[in-house]
Amino acid sequence: MSIASTLVHNTPIFGKMFSVDKSTGLEDINAWPALMIMASFIWLAVAGLLGIVMPVTQIFDLNTDWFYTTLTLHGAALAFPFGFQLMVGVGLHRSGGCVGKPVTGIFPALTFITMNLGAAILTVAVLMGFKVSLVVMFPLPLVGAQMGIWSMTTVIVGFTGIYLVLASMILFYPILVLKMLFFGKKQPELVLSERSLNDPGMLGMVLAALTLLVAGTPLVVVGTTLLLALYGVIPMAMAAWAAKPIVFQYSFYIFAHNMMEAMALMVTSAMYATLPLYLADGTRKLFSNKLANLALWILLLTSVTSFLHHFITFYPNQPSALSYWGNIMSWGTGIGAALSIFTVFATIWQHGLRAEPGIIAVLIAWALYILDGASAVVTSNIAWAYVLHGTMWQSGHTMTVILAMALMWMGVLYHHYPVMTGRKLDPTVGWWFVWLFTVGSFGAALSMLAGGAAGMPRRFAAWNQEGWMIYGNLTLFFGLILGAAFVVYAYSLLKSRDLSVAVGRQPVAA
Amino acid sequence: MQDFLFSGWGAFWVTLFMLMPFAAMLAYIVYRKSVFDTGPGTTPVKTLSKMEGIWLTFVFVFFVGINLGSLKYMPYIAEARAATSGLPLQEIDVTAKSWGYEMSSRQVEAGRPVRFSGRSVDTQHGFAVYHPDGRMLFTMLLMDGLKQPTTVVHTFKEPGTYKVRCLEYCGIAHHVMLDELTVVKSN
Ligand SMILES: [Cu+2]
Repeated sequence: MSIASTLVHNTPIFGKMFSVDKSTGLEDINAWPALMIMASFIWLAVAGLLGIVMPVTQIFDLNTDWFYTTLTLHGAALAFPFGFQLMVGVGLHRSGGCVGKPVTGIFPALTFITMNLGAAILTVAVLMGFKVSLVVMFPLPLVGAQMGIWSMTTVIVGFTGIYLVLASMILFYPILVLKMLFFGKKQPELVLSERSLNDPGMLGMVLAALTLLVAGTPLVVVGTTLLLALYGVIPMAMAAWAAKPIVFQYSFYIFAHNMMEAMALMVTSAMYATLPLYLADGTRKLFSNKLANLALWILLLTSVTSFLHHFITFYPNQPSALSYWGNIMSWGTGIGAALSIFTVFATIWQHGLRAEPGIIAVLIAWALYILDGASAVVTSNIAWAYVLHGTMWQSGHTMTVILAMALMWMGVLYHHYPVMTGRKLDPTVGWWFVWLFTVGSFGAALSMLAGGAAGMPRRFAAWNQEGWMIYGNLTLFFGLILGAAFVVYAYSLLKSRDLSVAVGRQPVAA
Repeated sequence: MQDFLFSGWGAFWVTLFMLMPFAAMLAYIVYRKSVFDTGPGTTPVKTLSKMEGIWLTFVFVFFVGINLGSLKYMPYIAEARAATSGLPLQEIDVTAKSWGYEMSSRQVEAGRPVRFSGRSVDTQHGFAVYHPDGRMLFTMLLMDGLKQPTTVVHTFKEPGTYKVRCLEYCGIAHHVMLDELTVVKSN
């Protein structure tokens, strides 16, 4: 039995949701993914509770330090050990089954350990006072130490944690994916649903891994330099260039922006892969693979340089020509989205749909992702950037992309769960999850965007002015509905039944 | 109308304009093809290709239209226009430091362009100006260690007291980094 299966097996409550079916001989593609998915749900539980704390500190006028502590932890936990790790877990299982390669060896272990250990260390640093927001927005944390806001020790601990998380995302995971897809021998017994690399459902995985690796490299260089200086391996003077806010911010956003785009590529790709499995006429084909792939390539090419939209209000330090470029490229991603919208509509129209909670979750996640895309291109327009940058609009956008991804992978997990665990989920509970999630996520997204439209600042512990509290209350309300959706999902995993036992409403025996 | 379109709430309605028809169409297609009539579609591929063309053309025209319409509201254009207007520019130098601002002046005249030149001396800060009615007019991103300041040229239309807020998270007292500008009638 693999270490990963053992760990899942021995974890209380959460372990029960994901314990791997060993009778199928598929443990090699199931064990590490199950462990990663399980860990991501533990982080989700933590992040969800922290998410409630933020509006609560505002409603009850509590110590603002708590606001900034939870802001940092909630955002970091949702984006990295929850969102990213969930995607990695489901994605690895799926690609293993598509190309017939095991998810075993040192790289899955390194991906898992660096992500979770890093996130745990960062959590400790934040609790020690390291309040830098999820994007290390306070450039640099060193300044915080110089000003006495937090100690140098917390900076060293915090950076160690961040560095490990980045190593997981930028190095170990992409290397693992590329290694699986391009090297090693295919094991026919692991093939569940064969796909070639030209398949839109697989192409996105490769493009996303390459994007992370390439766009993350500058940040790894900057991060390594800083960490070596913090540990005293090289003199601080040698790291001065890396500690410059402008160097740090640009290398951070080249990565962070493209990480979001990589996740979008994976989301689109997972949708392209899952939709055909639920077509009513059994064709198992998209309306046009060519059109689907074209959308992915447009997304990739336009997204690489659209990170420049993060610095529009930095003029003339970022020249206007670069801002225009970022503006136009951002709207260019919308053309890719328009193509994928047509592909999905035409596919369902021509082949009919078997509506089950999993595929409906995937489609709703994709719709949420389109809303997110619309909010993103709007704020990337230079004129709107000047009235939206730094407001809740941006928080709404970031949270929506994470939620869209989470729902997408939770929907895809519906499809893979029986293979992974040998158990199936009750569709009635599944529908409850889908509807609660839909109301909660769209409501929270629109409430936050509306707050931004009204000028409500993000990462800002004073909501009680200019009538902004209403957006905070609405976000809390829909956030609680979202929380209920996650609880329902967890419940359905806990109550999953053996494949041999029928689930759902049974006809009453006469 | 155009002024409203390129405000914060304008952005919200444009986003809804993109979302709503799409969401309605998705709901309709999914309902129709999973509940009402699950059989294969009979629409000829040629018709679908034609619809694809129309759809992409619409998206393209809409995107180009929005981005052309917004040109006038870009502060870069405002700066160029102010430079050629012949009106003397009012200059305000801003220095941001955790957690407050130093400003060379806190009073400006309505109707005459003002150039705000902002710097930070410690960490990253913002400089956002809010209209007395609560709307955000513009924001600037300030970072330390740079040769030139971040600038915005803005012409205030109405007299009143305008709030200034930092919109870049800058630590535990970020939310109290506030200031005010007074816009007076031009003489
Ligand atoms: Cu500030």
